[in-house]
Amino acid sequence: MTEQIRHKGRLAQTGIYLGKFLRMFVYQNDWKLLPMGAVIAAIVVFVVGGTLFQYQEGTKLGVFALVCACIWNGFFNSIQVVCREREIIKHEHRSGLHMSSYVFAQMIYQLLLCLAQTVITLIICSIAGVRIPSLGVVTPWGLLDVGISILLITYTADMMALMVSSIVRTTTTAMTTMPFLLIFQLVFSGGFFTLSGFANKIKYLTISHWGMDGLCSIGRYNEQPMVAVWNMIVGFKDLDVFGYTPLKDALIYVEEQGWRDYFLEWCGQHNQVPQYAATVENVLSNWGVLLLMTVVFALAAVIALEFVDRDKR
Amino acid sequence: MAAFTDILSSVYTELLDFLLFSLGLWMVFGKLKWKQRWMAWVPGLRIAALGRSVQLTREGILCGIMEVVSFVVGYFSKGEITDRFTLFLSLAMLVLLVLLVVYRLRIYVRLLRVFGMKKRWILVWIFFDWLVLMIIGFGKKFQPVELPEPEDWEAGTAPAEISGAENVHFRPAAESGLSVDLFERTAKDFGKTHYLLKDISLDIPKGSLVLLLGGSGAGKTTLVNAIIGYEKAKARMTLNGADIYKDYAHMKYKIGFVPQKNLMRGNDTVLQTVDDAAELRLPSAVSTAERKSRVQEVMDLLGLSAGASGLVCKKSGGQLRRISIAMELVSDPELFVLDEPDSGLDGVIAREIFSKLRAIADEGRIVIVITHTPDRVIDLFDKVIVLARDSGRVGRLAFYGSPQEARDFFGKETMEDVVMSVNSKEQGGEGLAEHYIERYAALAAATEGGAAT
Repeated sequence: MTEQIRHKGRLAQTGIYLGKFLRMFVYQNDWKLLPMGAVIAAIVVFVVGGTLFQYQEGTKLGVFALVCACIWNGFFNSIQVVCREREIIKHEHRSGLHMSSYVFAQMIYQLLLCLAQTVITLIICSIAGVRIPSLGVVTPWGLLDVGISILLITYTADMMALMVSSIVRTTTTAMTTMPFLLIFQLVFSGGFFTLSGFANKIKYLTISHWGMDGLCSIGRYNEQPMVAVWNMIVGFKDLDVFGYTPLKDALIYVEEQGWRDYFLEWCGQHNQVPQYAATVENVLSNWGVLLLMTVVFALAAVIALEFVDRDKR
Repeated sequence: MAAFTDILSSVYTELLDFLLFSLGLWMVFGKLKWKQRWMAWVPGLRIAALGRSVQLTREGILCGIMEVVSFVVGYFSKGEITDRFTLFLSLAMLVLLVLLVVYRLRIYVRLLRVFGMKKRWILVWIFFDWLVLMIIGFGKKFQPVELPEPEDWEAGTAPAEISGAENVHFRPAAESGLSVDLFERTAKDFGKTHYLLKDISLDIPKGSLVLLLGGSGAGKTTLVNAIIGYEKAKARMTLNGADIYKDYAHMKYKIGFVPQKNLMRGNDTVLQTVDDAAELRLPSAVSTAERKSRVQEVMDLLGLSAGASGLVCKKSGGQLRRISIAMELVSDPELFVLDEPDSGLDGVIAREIFSKLRAIADEGRIVIVITHTPDRVIDLFDKVIVLARDSGRVGRLAFYGSPQEARDFFGKETMEDVVMSVNSKEQGGEGLAEHYIERYAALAAATEGGAAT
């Protein structure tokens, strides 16, 4: 038996790799992810930000777009990070690298990246005049609640992409996989496309579903007015009924009486969605699911990387 | 009645197609001297056998599996899309069929090549596969030409019988230095055992710079991976008396392996790259000051101190190789293995690197180097290992001794000529591998200690 000599443990190795990633953030142009994320967030916010958190329709559309932007940013952060250095990792594994340390270092590094992107997104929201609820659901500040949600959505997507990057062997495969993942998130979010049966169950596996639920709760969706019915009636206002335009007359009457806002709120009250209720339980459970997904993705990444030695040379 | 006639007609057509295909294949197997000709009549198995007979085993087996799976899936879905499950099955089937067509095409193209036929026959094949098989099978004009060189992974299914080769093993492991006693290194592929290396036994003393020579596919990297315990073989490998395989978790820190590629992150500084490698590889008991000192020592030895703060990606090929070496050397390994450290480097830089390796060996370490251009630095080496592929394409030991002894043994002046003498004729060599393997085995067995020197 040889003399048992201890080498750097998992925690120490995490420190080594975190330092490496942070240095490479500066040298390797990873910082470019920040302005890129900012541009994406800006496009989304400037298009849908006007009605975000104002009306139910605007909130749903805006939140959906914001969630998509967050997922996009998260995917882009890490989809190539592992597979592009797979051979290096394999060699380092041979030299004593613990895969859990490597993935944990990536998790911390990616969290910092996502945090920076979240701050940028919030600044852009503020510049674009998005009226974020001042009162939070979990914390006393709405901005903080929204920030935590955006961070968790981006980070969970980031971890999902990290998992994919750990499973696939080439950057080409990773980049080919990414659009499918994104489409899956969009289609099965349950926010816009009506899902039924088995498809309706799949939505519980998507980041977008839990992200939308969380943001709609924080945005107090159920307390917002609904404009869709009013707009539809306006669209039919010139409908001629035996020489009369009853809808137009009714609309004018409602406006004159100052009942419009009451009508919109009444519509909103009848369009409430239970999972969008602004309760601490709702928001915390959404955050909890996203965190759970993050852990599952990270574990899957570690397991996938443990098999890196099986790669053919 | 009409429906019954339709079914009967469909069955007849299927049966006729099956009979014609099988008969044609049976004849083809005969021409290919395939022993299990009956396989031509078993669906699934026959395409696997055809693939194997034209040395595309992997494609053949996958085709066979896909044929069976598609039959089963087709049977259960009954060819109709009635619900989401059958829709999913149909999509899976579609993907499967595309793969099946691609693999089948590969096999057919290879078969055409084996029979010296033009590729345009593939067009006929797509529509009437049985017809082409019948033409090849019954046509006297079509006879198999020499089969192409098999894929590497197909090598070594039957090692050549070399008298006395197994006698090299009966010796105790050396207490000092590296002791290699490899019985065989095999790999499984689709349940079949492939021999990659066989009967390699040698002792390398401390402080030796050893050259590992061999033609392409001789098993140099496989041997190196087996020695360092990364890909274990049926062997006993000891380093200074400690068993590498049994205590791999600790022994791996005593072994440095520099791969052929420069595996490092370009966007980090040279100093940090080497320092991180040191932190990962050195024992935890080593203090920061000791580590920094060791890093500096290695950087100085390899001439990397000047550009230490520069980014790795900005360095030249020679510098990158030296960084690779530094990353492994920094842990002070007892055994140091390098796979083509001079790859892509000019003579001056290569000589410089090998001089550094000589200095490393002189510190009491064992350094094993694989290189394809040995003659420009052969004067620096203490020992030469020559690997050669026998007729069964299994890597074996053809020689182990000093460079001068190698010249005498092979009757050649240069190491490149030595390699050519053991390379197969297809590789442009003299094809004398088995002669030298046998001769060396006899010499080694006759010499006390196993190795001839």
